[in-house]
Amino acid sequence: MTIAVLRFPGTNNERDIMRALSLIPKADPYIVPSRSGPEALKEADGIVIPGGFSYGDYLRAGAVASVGAITDGVREIAEAGKPVLGICNGFQILTEMGLLPGALLHNQSAHFVCRWVYLRVCDSPNLFFNGLENAVIKLPIAHAEGNYYCTKEDLEWLKGESRISIRYCNQEGEPDESSNPNGAIENIAGIVNDKGNVLGMMPHPERASRPVLGSTDGLMILDNFVRATKTK
Amino acid sequence: MELLHTGKVKRVFRDPENDGRVIIEFTDAITAGDGEKKDEFTQKGELTCDITQFFMKYLEKKGIRTHLITRLDGPRLRCHRVEIFPIEVVCRNIAAGSFCRRYGVESGTELPSPLIELFLKDDKLNDPLISKDAALAIELATEDEINFMKSLARSVNYYLAELLAQIDLKLIDFKLEFGIDPSGNILLADEISGDTMRVWDKGNVSLDKDLFRKSSGDVIEAYSELLNRLKETKPEEIAPREEAIFVSILPKDGIKNPPGEVTKKALNRLGFIVAKDVRMGKIFAISLNRPITTEILKQLELMNLKLLSNPIAEKRSVRLE
Repeated sequence: MTIAVLRFPGTNNERDIMRALSLIPKADPYIVPSRSGPEALKEADGIVIPGGFSYGDYLRAGAVASVGAITDGVREIAEAGKPVLGICNGFQILTEMGLLPGALLHNQSAHFVCRWVYLRVCDSPNLFFNGLENAVIKLPIAHAEGNYYCTKEDLEWLKGESRISIRYCNQEGEPDESSNPNGAIENIAGIVNDKGNVLGMMPHPERASRPVLGSTDGLMILDNFVRATKTK
Repeated sequence: MELLHTGKVKRVFRDPENDGRVIIEFTDAITAGDGEKKDEFTQKGELTCDITQFFMKYLEKKGIRTHLITRLDGPRLRCHRVEIFPIEVVCRNIAAGSFCRRYGVESGTELPSPLIELFLKDDKLNDPLISKDAALAIELATEDEINFMKSLARSVNYYLAELLAQIDLKLIDFKLEFGIDPSGNILLADEISGDTMRVWDKGNVSLDKDLFRKSSGDVIEAYSELLNRLKETKPEEIAPREEAIFVSILPKDGIKNPPGEVTKKALNRLGFIVAKDVRMGKIFAISLNRPITTEILKQLELMNLKLLSNPIAEKRSVRLE
């Protein structure tokens, strides 16, 4: 299954993603530089938009990348129902593109946060979190603009339709204020679109893909992602 | 044809073929001092019509939207029908006329940069000078509309002054009127001729209505001279004027702004303790190589929503140069 890993100028997590995906049987990832244009995504069964600082976070994190020509290809893949996973800067790009609602604002602390967090997975079925329903998982975050914000209407929709896939929580799985690392509304760490095939998340699953890294919870998400490319 | 409006020197008719257009006829009348001094000169209507047509076609080529559509037989222009703003926009490069009387400045004094003045278009009140604040207070136009008209007046000034310089004429000052069409486009309207501008030849000799105001020369001769000289210009050699648009982005009220907060703390630490709150945003300075039009501003608004601002969390404002 061919998985396109997008690389914009300033993306710096594409190698981590490639390495993590290489652990998953039959995943066939390839790096697509954004300059190659939407045609380069024709063969893709799924897309990962990795973290980093696309275009140096100029303008707003993800804003410049969100209007690049290659995003036409991303939209096509998303519309075709194939899985699209945006991690960290990739999540920011997906909201700037309008494929996911809301925006990622500066962390409330004004600091860059880089640490492990616990996350409560949504209890309703979701192709990215298959087998992890209602679980408490552990993934690292590293961002300055991860404070998820959206309009009241969008929040009602996200909640009503069970589109909030993961929320920051404490070790016991309670999404309380003290475990919110960036001020995100309702402790939101990741959301999916209406079809459920586009996921944006601030935590880095690729950095929790081997025991030596401290957790393998992320590998399960990536494994689900690869599996979803096959079933489509 | 139905007469829609009679001005001091022009008459406006409804275009029988199209309700969205009007036919403007230039008469031979000439007036000064808000109509106190009046006369009529054969050919004067034809000349002001010719000169207006010349300037408006030229400005249109340079990208400034005007009301002019075509020339008709006689001293008549077919124009887009617009709602005229009751504001006269005056641009001055060199002090002359009422500016000198008002401020006691010697006529011929060069101003450091082009000065834009607004006048309330109302004969009963003798077209008084009006401040932008007063114009907004009595709702003559919106702030965006006034800023747009002022910006356009600066462009028109550049294009007219450069063209006149080619034929060794100095643009002293001029008056513009603007109108808004049913789609909301602001167009340069009315006329641009010796009646609405001051133009000085070598030795500061007027080629404009001052000859009539001061009874110091033959208006018809001067207007013919102006028109003939204009025909010798090379409009294509005038380079586009660089225009600037500034877009400011600020976080919406109620949205936390950590960059502003840390800046505030730093200001306080440096002793600037009066800083109670700081909001940090960004400014984009966008330069264009053509005059700003209503269409360009509409496109810009789309760019603001799509790219320059995040409408969920940020508010924006646009300022013209």
